[in-house]
Amino acid sequence: MGPLAVPAAMADAHCHPHRPTRRQLLAATVALSATGLPRLAKAAAPAGQLTYGVHVSLAPTWFDPADTQGIITPFMVLYALHDAMVKAMPGKAQAPCLAEEWNAAKDGLSYDFTIRKGALFHNGDPVTADDVKFSYERYRGTSHDLMKSQLDAIEVLDPSHVRFKLKKPWPDFLSFYSSASGAGWIVPKKYVEKLGDDGFRKNPVGAGPYKFVSFNPGQELVLEAFEGYWRKTPSVKTLVMKVIPDEATRTAALKRGEVDIAYSIRGELAEEVQKTPGLALKPVVLQAPNWLYFPEQWDPKSPWHDVRVRQAANLAIDREGMSKALFLGHCKTTNSIIPYTFDYYWQPPAARYDPAAAKKLMADAGHAGGFDAGLFYCDSSYSNMAEVSLNNLAEIGIQVKLQPIERAGFFGGYGNKKYKRGIIQAASGAFGNAATRLAAFVVKDGAYAYGSYPDIDELYPQQADELDHEKRTGILDKMQQLVHDKAIYAPIWQLGFINAIGPRVGESSFGAIPGFAYTAPFEDLTLKG
Amino acid sequence: MKRYILKRSGYCLLSLILLSLTIFFFVRVTGDPALLLVEPGASDADIAAIHHQFGLDRPIWVQYGLFVWALLHGDLGQSFYYQTPVMELYLDRLPNSLLLAGVAMGLSLIIGIPSGILASVRVGRFWDNAGKIFSLLGLSLPSFWVGLVLILVFSVYLGWLPSSGAGGPLHLIMPAFALGWYFAASHMRLTRSSMLEVLGSEYVKLARLKGLPESLVIAKHAFKNALIPVLTLAGINLVIMVNVAVVVETVFAWPGIGRLLYEGISFRDFPIVQGVVLLGGAMIVVVNLVVDILYAVIDPRIRLGS
Repeated sequence: MGPLAVPAAMADAHCHPHRPTRRQLLAATVALSATGLPRLAKAAAPAGQLTYGVHVSLAPTWFDPADTQGIITPFMVLYALHDAMVKAMPGKAQAPCLAEEWNAAKDGLSYDFTIRKGALFHNGDPVTADDVKFSYERYRGTSHDLMKSQLDAIEVLDPSHVRFKLKKPWPDFLSFYSSASGAGWIVPKKYVEKLGDDGFRKNPVGAGPYKFVSFNPGQELVLEAFEGYWRKTPSVKTLVMKVIPDEATRTAALKRGEVDIAYSIRGELAEEVQKTPGLALKPVVLQAPNWLYFPEQWDPKSPWHDVRVRQAANLAIDREGMSKALFLGHCKTTNSIIPYTFDYYWQPPAARYDPAAAKKLMADAGHAGGFDAGLFYCDSSYSNMAEVSLNNLAEIGIQVKLQPIERAGFFGGYGNKKYKRGIIQAASGAFGNAATRLAAFVVKDGAYAYGSYPDIDELYPQQADELDHEKRTGILDKMQQLVHDKAIYAPIWQLGFINAIGPRVGESSFGAIPGFAYTAPFEDLTLKG
Repeated sequence: MKRYILKRSGYCLLSLILLSLTIFFFVRVTGDPALLLVEPGASDADIAAIHHQFGLDRPIWVQYGLFVWALLHGDLGQSFYYQTPVMELYLDRLPNSLLLAGVAMGLSLIIGIPSGILASVRVGRFWDNAGKIFSLLGLSLPSFWVGLVLILVFSVYLGWLPSSGAGGPLHLIMPAFALGWYFAASHMRLTRSSMLEVLGSEYVKLARLKGLPESLVIAKHAFKNALIPVLTLAGINLVIMVNVAVVVETVFAWPGIGRLLYEGISFRDFPIVQGVVLLGGAMIVVVNLVVDILYAVIDPRIRLGS
């Protein structure tokens, strides 16, 4: 069975094999200009320096895609130093990068990738199929076991072509290869073999828009523009990422002009930035929804067993008010536990704030006078959110007592299913798609599912085996609709991550890639003047 | 004397063993580091892989045995977060911490000792009261608040000093002051009380009766003796400044050992927390041992009493 040719630029559009319409041509032009045509966008020589105030300590493990963990933070550096075969780019969740195009076999058992001509590593070596194979096989980060278990073999067809053969059809292969892991980020085989893992972390060489200059642990990372980058020559010559863990100090450094871009500025400090002439806030919506969870809903004796009580709790939460009070209104309110940027996301009806309707539902359920719901568990770093929810719930008679727990302890207890009574406020920014999110939080035996519903459980294996994209979408839509109808969760919002920029920054590229917290693509950054 | 030294050394070794046990087991009670390296919703296989990578899937006593065995070979383990030997991280940060602590200690002594002397020779008068207010503020104002006020005034409003980081002498001024401020107050109080005690002693009275000038009585007879407990405390304080200036180093993004400890705690990076606490503890134990031995050399009653 021959491979089904799916031009990468069209892969998300599910186009039919007819002549393209004017609208499609326009869309293709926009997509191509967004991902960039190699060498067409030759810019002037890079100049100037941009300095970042980074909120967390930079770790050398972030310089090596093989160690990518399931959190977004390392991608802050990966997008600068390295490049992937396929990755999220402006306007496209799976944009062709080091892979010029790819084809999936009709039987779903293999994927062929063509490597982009002219793509180079910082040491001048061309990116080859051997590097692609080596990078996948060397990968040991998040979802490592899953990716290895699905793979039968990687065949190097020639230096520009590589084939991934799967043991059985795996509809999520591209999701995991492109964005839910670091396996698709390519490192130079010969260089890594020569230096070893430790040596590579100390002097990383990638195929990204910026090359490594120096790293001073606990202080700063210095990067320099790579003029041979395939997409375009970066405009800014030097990037300095300074570690400034304290938020107030980062704000002071931004106000003083010591840094041009400051990550993570919240609350009153963000308001202060807003008031300061020359500074601007650059909020981005993360792919991390927050929600309330009712672990007692499977207990027939509990008030939470009645769907009307759960719906009432849903209607009682003033999401917009909470967002304005805590995040200057930059969170995206949601009615789903799945980020809107995920594959197979189903758009639920908009979340409503209607205390009167909530009270009526409570009365209909026989709880007109309210009830004591016990403890309200949350990660202590989000206890400010929890306090608002607590007050909202109290307004309709649901009394809960706040139980903030330090992050590691909280997620340990949540995952080990210790919080069987009360309410849990949680969030997840885990990579994947709607199916992976449902598997962890909704379906029977999910790591964070305290119970499940047979009609949803039944649908799960059906979607996992479904190769037809539209049919699979239908099943996953149905599952999400059931989650919504049963009010298993009271989703709140996708968190607004507020960053700030100084007066020298032209294009910051914040928000260019939906759901991404940091500046990217780095080659699009500019300085004013 | 030899017996005394051996006995004290034995106590020190026991202290370090107890410290290693305490820190090793207590740090593990604080939570699972794997949960901070993945998002909630990560698969069990991913969490298990991290446990395996860090050796956390082994029985706790095996982990402790391996830790002690490595420790005996001078190996503090590999940081979970940085994937770098803890000793390397510690030694990278040590010069910064020594520099900051040295300057902060200098400032605290320059401010604390003269103001303590002044307060003691002017008891109940203006300088004594001013000293009391200074020590009250020094001991009660938290260093993070002092640090933020300094940044606001000297970086943001006046623009004289860089707000954070390390690099030149200007970077050192605010963190050294914020760190030295608390210790200046404690040195001031100890100098005052120690001076008052010495000034009331018989030999100082005799010196005064002999008609020596007051400045000579204070400088030659009182101050020298009053300084001994102050310098002993300063030695211990210096070790504390080097190892646990967590708040000041975090506020000023100073790349020292205190911040390393903060990062270790934040990420449940057990090897970093164990390494920094043990090395800090070892320094304090060694300083105490040296001080004990010096006291015993100076004052035979101590070793005979023991």
